[in-house]
Amino acid sequence: MPAPRSARGFLGWLLAPERRGPLLIAPAIATLVIVNIFPLLWSYGLSFFSYNAKKIGVPPRWRGLDNYVDLFTDEDVWGRFQNTAVIVIGSVAVQLVVGFLLALLFAREFPLRRYLLMLVLAPMMLSLSAVGVFFKLFYEPTFGFIPRLVQTFTGEPFVILSTPVKATIAIVFADAWMWSPFVMLLVLAGLVSVPKYLYEAAEIDRASAWRRFRTITFPYIRSLLLLALLFRTIETFKIFDVPYVLTEGGPGTSTETISVYLFRVAFNYFQTGRASALGYIVLFGVIVLTSLYLYAIQSRSSESIE
Amino acid sequence: MKGLKFSIAAAAITAGAVLGGAFTAAPASAKDVIINMAAPDWQPTRFMQEEFNRTYKSKTGNNVKLVIDFIPWPSFYQRVAASLSSGEKKYQMIVTDSQWMGDFVEGGHYLKLNKYIDADPELQAVIADMHQVLKDTSSSYPYKSTNYYGFPQFPDNMVTFYRTDLFCNAKERAAFKAKYKKALPCYYHEWQDVDWNQWGNIGEFFTRKKGSALGDGKADDDFYGIAYQAGKGYDFSTSQIHTMIWDAGGDIWDETDTKPASGVINSAVNVKAMEQFLDLLKWSPPVAKTGQMDIFVIQDLYMQGKVAAIVDWVGVAGPVIDPKASKVADKSAFAQAPGTRKSDGTINRSSNIGGQPFVLTTWNNDEVIHEALDVVKWWLSKPVQTKFVREGGGQSGMLSVLNDPGYATWSPFARAFADNIQWQKDMWHIPEFFPLLTQQQEQFDKAITGQISAKQALDSVAAYQDKTLKEAGRIK
Repeated sequence: MPAPRSARGFLGWLLAPERRGPLLIAPAIATLVIVNIFPLLWSYGLSFFSYNAKKIGVPPRWRGLDNYVDLFTDEDVWGRFQNTAVIVIGSVAVQLVVGFLLALLFAREFPLRRYLLMLVLAPMMLSLSAVGVFFKLFYEPTFGFIPRLVQTFTGEPFVILSTPVKATIAIVFADAWMWSPFVMLLVLAGLVSVPKYLYEAAEIDRASAWRRFRTITFPYIRSLLLLALLFRTIETFKIFDVPYVLTEGGPGTSTETISVYLFRVAFNYFQTGRASALGYIVLFGVIVLTSLYLYAIQSRSSESIE
Repeated sequence: MKGLKFSIAAAAITAGAVLGGAFTAAPASAKDVIINMAAPDWQPTRFMQEEFNRTYKSKTGNNVKLVIDFIPWPSFYQRVAASLSSGEKKYQMIVTDSQWMGDFVEGGHYLKLNKYIDADPELQAVIADMHQVLKDTSSSYPYKSTNYYGFPQFPDNMVTFYRTDLFCNAKERAAFKAKYKKALPCYYHEWQDVDWNQWGNIGEFFTRKKGSALGDGKADDDFYGIAYQAGKGYDFSTSQIHTMIWDAGGDIWDETDTKPASGVINSAVNVKAMEQFLDLLKWSPPVAKTGQMDIFVIQDLYMQGKVAAIVDWVGVAGPVIDPKASKVADKSAFAQAPGTRKSDGTINRSSNIGGQPFVLTTWNNDEVIHEALDVVKWWLSKPVQTKFVREGGGQSGMLSVLNDPGYATWSPFARAFADNIQWQKDMWHIPEFFPLLTQQQEQFDKAITGQISAKQALDSVAAYQDKTLKEAGRIK
């Protein structure tokens, strides 16, 4: 009769060298499955049902693809995508320009550079909702800094968040203020990697500043700029905190981004199935964007190798 | 033998302990009962926690602890709804807005209390002592039924906060009289004759540029006449617009009927009332143009001395008279909010009720339910409610307290609250409340920020309400 495997024997079997690797990553995999994969699959399932999470004992009702069809034909949804697109285009463009200019500035040596660099990087380390609150106070028409500053020149109260256009600009400004340093950081990494001898050679050849930039600097930072464009487009596409805190999506619904709308569908309207479907549409959008940019980066890399 | 002796002695000691325990009060049997309660973070709930910790003793001998989870009001609904829908069963009691009743009763979260009330004469006395308005709006579901779910933790209504240094200033009063042929209200009884038209006159009169004469001095900054809530968040503009609609003789969709909302919410009377609401915003601080002028914003502007008078909830009046928080603490008084003058000269002051009931959740065991109901009885008892009004910045909906001859003098805003309570109405309590509110708030915000007219906003609201209510089977 074989002896039962003792606890020590099981431990020995478990800790065998060939099982140590899987054993070490098992907690991380389990956490990932519980907090990420399972909710993802669960919400994917829910996206085909009519379901209200607040109602205990009311089972989900099968709707098939109806949630998706409804969303794709809903003017409100397209309106929110439009708001999001305007903010993405505006904010990412400003971030790229400002980040690039800041990188050019900080690529040079000047007094207090290190300290100023730390200061410039500070906004991207703040919490998103804190930035929302900060700018809400900044824009407040009676006490806020910007309205008071403008009023000293015009004599009239300056109300930034009163129209759809101005409110959109206000959000773009706040988001760009926060994330331009991120673009700067990436571009700066490219700029400092340019070998100095290339500039020296160009100087000997009497190349103009523009030509030096086009033929030496830009090829080094091109892929990093594309990477910044990719990251910032995806992140801004999901923007929630700043518009939610700053404008609550207003005036009306003019600055309500797709993420804010998704939150309202999920937690105000409590249409859990519909919100899950919308979540997957947003996810699909992000995946498409990511693939496009990854493709662009790959093409650029292969071009530079050739 | 020695072992036997020891066993007998041990048995005797054990038996003695058991018998002794049966015949005497046994502190050792007292249980720890923790009641977790979700509540908005403001003075009336803070006072409840402090007073409970100071004075509450359970009648059962159990060690009852009330642990209030203070949640900021703007995110209160989302936090409570997320907790309930997640199934975490965290709260034994919840301070809830009356309009959430249908949603969470139908969802199976709030406990129906009738059987406990029927079995407990003390609870029956509590119900009998509650003001009828609160029974209708804050305790029962369906609306105005006798199915009880909650008790008033803190009833509230909207009153006028005003600057006595301006409204009682002889020069200002004379100038106002000369311009509008009416008295500038200074005393409580004068405010009782103020309608929304005169509110507009007050707004125009006190809106001054920096450096202009103001009271006995000069305005050190641009100064504004009036403000009331006109914010996109939660129910901020809805509360004020419903008030003005009711004042004008209009109405909102009646949840006790099956008639559609179209023709009611977008009636000519309602459109006119909303136009007046929008028109009066021109005398408000510039934040009104952003659609973000909520109850906390106007409270802050008033406390910073930027506006002459506001209409706001009694619940946020406490800090206004606190010199540590308010620049106008020593020159503020309170009166009934304006209304709409009827053809017979009287004023209709119908208003949207505020404050919240507290409810019990369905997953509590009998012991927790009885302890929680004892907490309800304690909170609504006359001594505690009296202290709440006198010292806690609160108000009471209990008739035994409200009808006390001294009530009006217990706090600077008690009289206005007491005079207002009979006028209170409420919006819908049905499960579709939040979608209806959210859509309405969006449309009102568009009108406030000048993107659409009052009529367009109300037409859109009517169409959405009809569609939603029809889908829910509430209208034909």
